[in-house]
Amino acid sequence: MKKIKYILIVLSGVLTITSCDTGELELTNPNTLSPETFFKSESQVQSSVNASYAGLQTRGLYGRNFSFAMDLMAHDALGNPQLEGNKKPFQDFSFNGGNDIIQYYWEACYIGISRANFVLDNEAKINALPNSVLSQEKKNKYLGEAHFLRAYYYFLLVKRFGDLPIYKTGTIIGNARSPKTDVYALIEEDLVFASQNLLPRATEAAGRANKEAAYAYLGKVLLYEKKYDEALVAFNSVTGFSLEDKGSFYNNFMAETEHGKESIFEIEFDEKNGTGDQWGAVGDSQGTGFEESTLRGQEYGNLSWYNVYPSDDLLDSYEAGDERFGDTFYVPGSSYLKGTKVMLASNFTTSAGIRRAGWKKYQNYYIREDEATRSSINFKVMRYADVLLMKAECENQRAGGSQTAAIAFIKEVRDRAGLTTAIAPTKEAVFTAIIHERKVEFAGEQSRFDDIIRWGIANTELQGTGFTAGKSELWPIPNRETSSNPNIKPSDNNPGY
Amino acid sequence: MMLKLKYAIITLLIISSHNMMAQSKTIQGVITDPSGFPLPGASINVEGTQNSASTDFDGKYSLKGVNPTDKITYSYVGLISQTITVGSRSIIDVTLVQSTQNLNEVVIAYGTQKRAKVTGAISTVSSKDIAAVPITNAESALQGRAAGVTVVNGAPGSSPAVSIRGLATMGNSAPLYVIDGVLAGNLSGLSPNDIDSISVLKDASTTALYGSKAFNGVIVVTTKKGKKGPGQLTFSTYVGGQTVTKRYDVLNTQQYLQYAKDLGSDLTARAAEFGNINTNWQDQIFQTGLMQDYNLSFSNGTETSTSRYSAEYMKQEGAIVNTGFERYSFRANNTQDIGKLKVGSNIGVSFSTTNPERSAGGRTLLEHSIKMAPYFPIYNANNLGGYQGPSAIDGNDAENPVRVANLGYQKINGLSIIGNIFAELEIYKGLKFRSQVSLDYYTSKDHTFVPSFQDGSYHKQAFSTTNETNGQGQTIVFDNSLTYKTTIAGKHNIEVLGVITKIDGKSQTLTAGSRYSISNEIDQLRYNEGSLGSANFVEKNIGYIARINYDYNEKYLLAVSGRRDASSRFGANNRWGNFYSVALGWNIAKESFMENSIFSTLKLRASTGTTGNDRIDNYQYSATLIANYNYPIGGANAPGVSLGVASNPDLKWESKLDRNIGLDFSLFDEKFTGSFEYFNNKSSDILFAVPLPASVGSAGGGTQIQNIADVKVSGFEVSLGYNDRKGDFTWSAIANLGTSKNEVTGLAPGVTSVLGGPSARAGLENFSRLEVGQPLFYFYGYQTNGIYQNQAEVDAVFGPGQTTIKPGDIKIIDRDGNKIINSDDKTNIGNPYPDFTYGLNLNAAYKNFDFNCFISGVQGNDIYNANTFDLEGMNRLFNASTAVLDRAIVVNGVVTNPSATLPRAQGADINWSSANQRYIEDGSYTRLKNIALGYTFSGDAFKAYFSKIRFYVSGQNLITVTKYDGLDPEIGRADANANSAGIDLGRYPQPKSVIFGLDVTF
Repeated sequence: MKKIKYILIVLSGVLTITSCDTGELELTNPNTLSPETFFKSESQVQSSVNASYAGLQTRGLYGRNFSFAMDLMAHDALGNPQLEGNKKPFQDFSFNGGNDIIQYYWEACYIGISRANFVLDNEAKINALPNSVLSQEKKNKYLGEAHFLRAYYYFLLVKRFGDLPIYKTGTIIGNARSPKTDVYALIEEDLVFASQNLLPRATEAAGRANKEAAYAYLGKVLLYEKKYDEALVAFNSVTGFSLEDKGSFYNNFMAETEHGKESIFEIEFDEKNGTGDQWGAVGDSQGTGFEESTLRGQEYGNLSWYNVYPSDDLLDSYEAGDERFGDTFYVPGSSYLKGTKVMLASNFTTSAGIRRAGWKKYQNYYIREDEATRSSINFKVMRYADVLLMKAECENQRAGGSQTAAIAFIKEVRDRAGLTTAIAPTKEAVFTAIIHERKVEFAGEQSRFDDIIRWGIANTELQGTGFTAGKSELWPIPNRETSSNPNIKPSDNNPGY
Repeated sequence: MMLKLKYAIITLLIISSHNMMAQSKTIQGVITDPSGFPLPGASINVEGTQNSASTDFDGKYSLKGVNPTDKITYSYVGLISQTITVGSRSIIDVTLVQSTQNLNEVVIAYGTQKRAKVTGAISTVSSKDIAAVPITNAESALQGRAAGVTVVNGAPGSSPAVSIRGLATMGNSAPLYVIDGVLAGNLSGLSPNDIDSISVLKDASTTALYGSKAFNGVIVVTTKKGKKGPGQLTFSTYVGGQTVTKRYDVLNTQQYLQYAKDLGSDLTARAAEFGNINTNWQDQIFQTGLMQDYNLSFSNGTETSTSRYSAEYMKQEGAIVNTGFERYSFRANNTQDIGKLKVGSNIGVSFSTTNPERSAGGRTLLEHSIKMAPYFPIYNANNLGGYQGPSAIDGNDAENPVRVANLGYQKINGLSIIGNIFAELEIYKGLKFRSQVSLDYYTSKDHTFVPSFQDGSYHKQAFSTTNETNGQGQTIVFDNSLTYKTTIAGKHNIEVLGVITKIDGKSQTLTAGSRYSISNEIDQLRYNEGSLGSANFVEKNIGYIARINYDYNEKYLLAVSGRRDASSRFGANNRWGNFYSVALGWNIAKESFMENSIFSTLKLRASTGTTGNDRIDNYQYSATLIANYNYPIGGANAPGVSLGVASNPDLKWESKLDRNIGLDFSLFDEKFTGSFEYFNNKSSDILFAVPLPASVGSAGGGTQIQNIADVKVSGFEVSLGYNDRKGDFTWSAIANLGTSKNEVTGLAPGVTSVLGGPSARAGLENFSRLEVGQPLFYFYGYQTNGIYQNQAEVDAVFGPGQTTIKPGDIKIIDRDGNKIINSDDKTNIGNPYPDFTYGLNLNAAYKNFDFNCFISGVQGNDIYNANTFDLEGMNRLFNASTAVLDRAIVVNGVVTNPSATLPRAQGADINWSSANQRYIEDGSYTRLKNIALGYTFSGDAFKAYFSKIRFYVSGQNLITVTKYDGLDPEIGRADANANSAGIDLGRYPQPKSVIFGLDVTF
């Protein structure tokens, strides 16, 4: 009897231990932050904005593919035989909706947009913070950065894809494509907000979007919409900048001279913060981790991978005496490594023969012999030279514009290049000068393809390259989207895809 | 008086004669297995009495008080019992043979069951089957032996991919492993020599007791226990070599130079620089690896205790250079009877070191060895690190695979402890209480060190890198169970089980990396350009389990079970799940009308039930932020935080309804055995990371875990066995065949299709698609129809004017005829699942010789061979298959060699980047998995020292018949996920091996 009693005690004890409280099953994830408790301090608000910037560094954009895709389409650059198969189609316009570079570009931009939307969706929470925690001016400026970045990404997208699904708030439901005029309207709206709320360059940290950058991009977007008068107004608000001095054009392409007097907006890279997982999938469009360098130097460099080389057409476009040539290209005889070494003809040898030149812009050879550690050099995506040439274009194109005023803007840029030939004050001559000047000033800066598309001259400029008018102006919506978004079907794709 | 005496004498005589007739005697003999090996601990029982004995160490027995009319049953675990009428004999030697049908006692969830009473679908593999083939991991023992089970091995030290009855889920489809009641993720820490039996539980009536963990089936492993009798020491070893003999046929230097010239690169001078040599890079990465295994075990038992101890050392060099696996494993299993209390423990500890296959630049070793130009030497003493690689001048940036494999090292050190401690108390006759605490504990340290190197202008690293990932995890399971077993009126057998189980799992990882540019001498982490991260996970489960087994005289069987389960992986709304099963059986052979029939077993059984699946990552139901986006502002890092992977608060269990009908039979005294099974399972609310529209910009690859699909899986399984004996010759054959067909029957509202699958190669589209009415992740892409021969053919399809597609490109069929090739033209171009899988196992023994031959295969599946992209893609200059010599040559817009099988080199993007038929191949194969011949020494010369010595030689994978062009058709899946089914990304090929072995029993 006693025995049974003991057994029962043991048994009931055991059963109590096991038949536990189901509250134990309620677990919180110890590895991540929770959205419910976020946006409580300035550093939290700022970090939500930083996340949207991080999308710019992905391999889908400035980390890698953007340079290739744009320079190859413009025929600024051509591929050497080792150029990878997914990049080659940009040279002959044979890409289709399955191309991963197009997919990552699309994804990276939309991820940047969704992160900007995460900030804007929490506008009420941010504004509810006491001013002692965050001043109203700062609240506005952080929201302004989110608006700026959203506009930046939509602008990248609308140029490549035309009509777009528009998201002004976070969701997981895919939208149908809206007309590109609606996209431009949203971009304008965002940039207007940004220009009114961002801090001026003088008080904002270098690397963040500032008021002048917002005006410069607002002007550029308006120019793309051919709203020349409005664009000019915006450009005129970009003050306090000037060109790098004559003889110092290369300051625009080195790491040590970043955020100089000509630089309005840059995409930041800094390898000392980490070069992360070079090939991991998250780097294509997610921008996770410390991947703070760009592959540009390694891939373009003639002492490194030399995947692309400057096209003969581009090299031949430079006028005799154009000082930019020597700052844009290396040729046999160019000095490098702080003047201690000289490029030899053999440094331009590829398996398809000896090339005339290699890229110097954005290369690290001025201080390093090789690019293997990848590059920290920021991309100066909005230079004052661009603003000057766009102002010239506005003047030349707007009703009642002044060719003389336009020529004055162009002359500023040409003077710096050491060129003195005068431009005839006719609309045609000025336009021809702008076409030429933008080609050589921004060679290898992913500008020319956008320019010849908006000018409508791509079909003649790219004749014989595989460019098909009515199709090649736009990229296809990637298959990844048409297979996952029930509101965009393969048949909704751009013409010809 | 005389008369009286006479009667008395007669009576006495009668009595004495009666006594004489009933005179009990002592019989003795030896019980052996078919190879003559004595069986200690076999039991001998006089039918209907308590009179019994067991054999001693030498298999000898002696049994007193036996009458000539008595029937004696000789039995031994795992062997067919024999019943012999004594008659006049006083020496009875018995040879017990193994049943082809299987063991008589079958291990099931939370206990064992007599095979005759089993109502579910269970395949078993015995220790003898396991011993027949030298294997390095326990999972391999299942291959081809259990109908409906597929096992695909990977690199040494990796856990094989095992699936039961095809795919029913889209995530992790690995079954649940239960080792002596301990839930485990795989069997990697377990020495195959320590396994007593493996039961594969295939239908819900056998798996439902494991509830939310049983979705993919359950593999129950029982380790060998000590046996009553004197101590027995055994030693076994094998040594052998393994190698991969198949190679892709790639261009030699001369062919490569011509091919490069055609593609616009003249490399003649470059090749001459290296002396016009010809390096076969594939030969450089494959090797003959040495395999060795040593195993020592000791088992003994007394009346009240048993124990078994074992130790093993196993080392396996891979068939690819610098890959391999090494393991030390130890096991101690003990039981102790203390009156009505039985306590015991089963504990296994293993230490392992794995050298995995290394990769670089996002490409596998095999991919590099295909693509690397053949004119390079392997080594160059002038280069930092000592290897030769390409520079820009070579126009080909494949990496030197020998450098990738050999420079520095990657080592994964693992420790695993799997064990339990239990106590079992008989509270009342038939009523038992059992309490068990189980532990599954592991640590792993994955350390990679790569010194600085420079092979050429492409591949260089100016610093050494050290990376380490440390993982640690533990799962503690606390089970308390009550069983009650009784027989009412001699015929109603009832067994009731109740269990409360609680699972607490924890795991954590710590990853760190650093760079060092000063020296290559230090391979440890340091605070220099470092990275650091850690994560911590907790998982909890609670389950309440009940089961009732009833049978009427073993003739009519009924089993009912239920489990109520809760998992922390789901939100409060959907945390609990209920699972049940019902099974019926009818032992027809026991019916009176079957008396004297040829059938010794004829059993019909049917079952239905449900199981669940919680195999998703932890915390998926709660929204999170990711704090790992970084951007430099002013040279300093500006940390970024944004929304994490899209959460889903409505996540619920995947559930599966199983239906199974089976027929077991054995004829002619168990000579011929077999079983048929038919199953028809329906999985609902299958969890899958559904790709969200890319444009919503979701984190983590843009997916959300959703309960997205319903899938039907049905199939047949047949196993047939035959065994016979003629004098000294015994033989048996077991054949099995399984089919499994899956079909998506429903998708979540609003979802019409999902594209998935791993990215096969940078630039190559995904192939795998989910759609109602199709198999799970069938191959979806363009159909092709030869090659465009001239411009007229191109224009006939696209109309004039376009320049993307040119003569020499692949004719992709424009299915909708809109003159544009886009995703609307894609269709089903392949099915990754076989029509059937099969295995044939032949065993024979003659005197001291034994022989085993084992063939397995699959039929009717397609493989998506991603290696074709490297070998025949021709999108840029890399070394390639000799097939490229037969590519279309286009001169003035006309293909000059119309018989060409490949498109033009560097042709339209769509030739190689699109999902199309050129990558799909027939994956059927038949493979001689194992062939072995053994010889057992016997005779008095040895008896003094050994009780048994067996030598054997065996060969694995020696012959494969297949049309597949890849290195190995035994693909399975590229990774653990269903959406990689049938995709060959350059999987570690199954090597051929030859092994010499020795088993000694002292």
